[in-house]
Amino acid sequence: MFSFTKEQEILEISDTKIGGQPGMYPTVLFGGMFFKGEPDYETAEKYLNNMLDLSKRTGNPAIPDLFIRKEEYIEEITNFIERVLPENQPFSIDVTDPQVKVRVLECLHEKNLLSRTIYNSIHVGITDEEREALTKYTPEMAIIVAFNPKDKSPDGKIEVLENGAHITDIGLLDISKNLGIKKILIDTAALAPGDNTGAAIAAIPVIKEEYGLPTGCAIHNVVEKSKWLNDFESARKTVDASSNVNISLFGGDFAIFGPIGNADIVFPTVAWQDILISEYTENYFGISPDEYHPRRKLF
Amino acid sequence: MKEDYYPWGGEFTACSPDGRVAVVLLNIEYTPPNTVAIYGSLKTENIGIEKIVANVISNPHIRYLIVCGDDIRGHRSGSSLVALQKNGIDEQNKIIDAPGAIPYIENLTMEAIGRFRNQIEIVDLLGIKDKGSIDKAVHDNTVKSVLPYGEPYIAIRIKPKTTVNLDDKRALHSKIVINYMGKVEKRGE
Repeated sequence: MFSFTKEQEILEISDTKIGGQPGMYPTVLFGGMFFKGEPDYETAEKYLNNMLDLSKRTGNPAIPDLFIRKEEYIEEITNFIERVLPENQPFSIDVTDPQVKVRVLECLHEKNLLSRTIYNSIHVGITDEEREALTKYTPEMAIIVAFNPKDKSPDGKIEVLENGAHITDIGLLDISKNLGIKKILIDTAALAPGDNTGAAIAAIPVIKEEYGLPTGCAIHNVVEKSKWLNDFESARKTVDASSNVNISLFGGDFAIFGPIGNADIVFPTVAWQDILISEYTENYFGISPDEYHPRRKLF
Repeated sequence: MKEDYYPWGGEFTACSPDGRVAVVLLNIEYTPPNTVAIYGSLKTENIGIEKIVANVISNPHIRYLIVCGDDIRGHRSGSSLVALQKNGIDEQNKIIDAPGAIPYIENLTMEAIGRFRNQIEIVDLLGIKDKGSIDKAVHDNTVKSVLPYGEPYIAIRIKPKTTVNLDDKRALHSKIVINYMGKVEKRGE
């Protein structure tokens, strides 16, 4: 359990706070939606309401992470955001295809949703069209994925943030700032088993001490890609959920925990970890937990 | 020698070690016949491609790489693999003319990439998901009379035994210092 010398930024989007010293604010949990198959809005709404209820009960803020795979889903999914999400609920949009990214930003602008949007994500594959769209339709907050295909260590992750590791013209932090994005989260890029996955966790305190920015990752990616776990299928969900506690333990601020259907296990697991951390950090470092912190609900 | 094949691991199934054909699956439920040397899925246009290259060149019997199914949205991993064989990489290690988001080959030497481009002929079945067409391509290339491409090329050999290297005794990372209570500071400040 850590405390950082570097001043830690606390960022806010629609009343959700993220960042700061460990033990101050609870870990923010991103639950993924619409990742597989055709979007099923009825089931998605049930899962979403369940996650928001868990968020209220534990104190850990919930962010629906909406995956938009195809252009034809943009209208439907943004309608879902308008229709189903509470008015002040922030959300993240997770898009892979650069062309779809541009269309999504246009649509979020038209629907006046950019002030609640966390853009997931900016990485070294950013295209000129994407930069143009982000300048024109700037989201409130963005996640930078510190993926360096050459060097997956914490140093490699810092290299892409600082100077783009010769893949982009300048570092990802400067790119984001130049685009006008003021609130930045750093994702330490958890990859597949065998790809120095521990570095995604070890990089958290390194990046927080270096930049003071809210930092986390999707350590779920590693579990999802594990073939080894096929031999322990009944343990997969538990392993998946519990791997997120590493993020909080190493001082991280958010976890992109995979399918929203796992929220039932993830929220209490991470909340419990936040409580343990808070007990230590308050005693040794004098960091009092926020009024909505899970530890406040223990008594 | 066969135990040295496919040293980089990954999501694949090894079948006939003397098979001429390897199959890359993209968004497709298809099981090739067991006459192929190896088959598996491809997700990413960087690390995923690196694993395929390293594994394929470890088996000199493999001369044809069938790339089939629907390409991965955004990543365009299949098209990027085809581009690697066709064009190689530039001085920034980017696959020339690859359409993927981050098509960089950073963990293989130029020699390994050259070996891949010389050893392997790509059978481009991108967009094809029909079992009959893929089966036919597998069969047609399996029966071709072509010699193995010299000796196995091991791009990186995974360490066979547990090793311990305690030369670096810095806690967690060189950039930070953590005291006994857990307070983090930048090293040297």
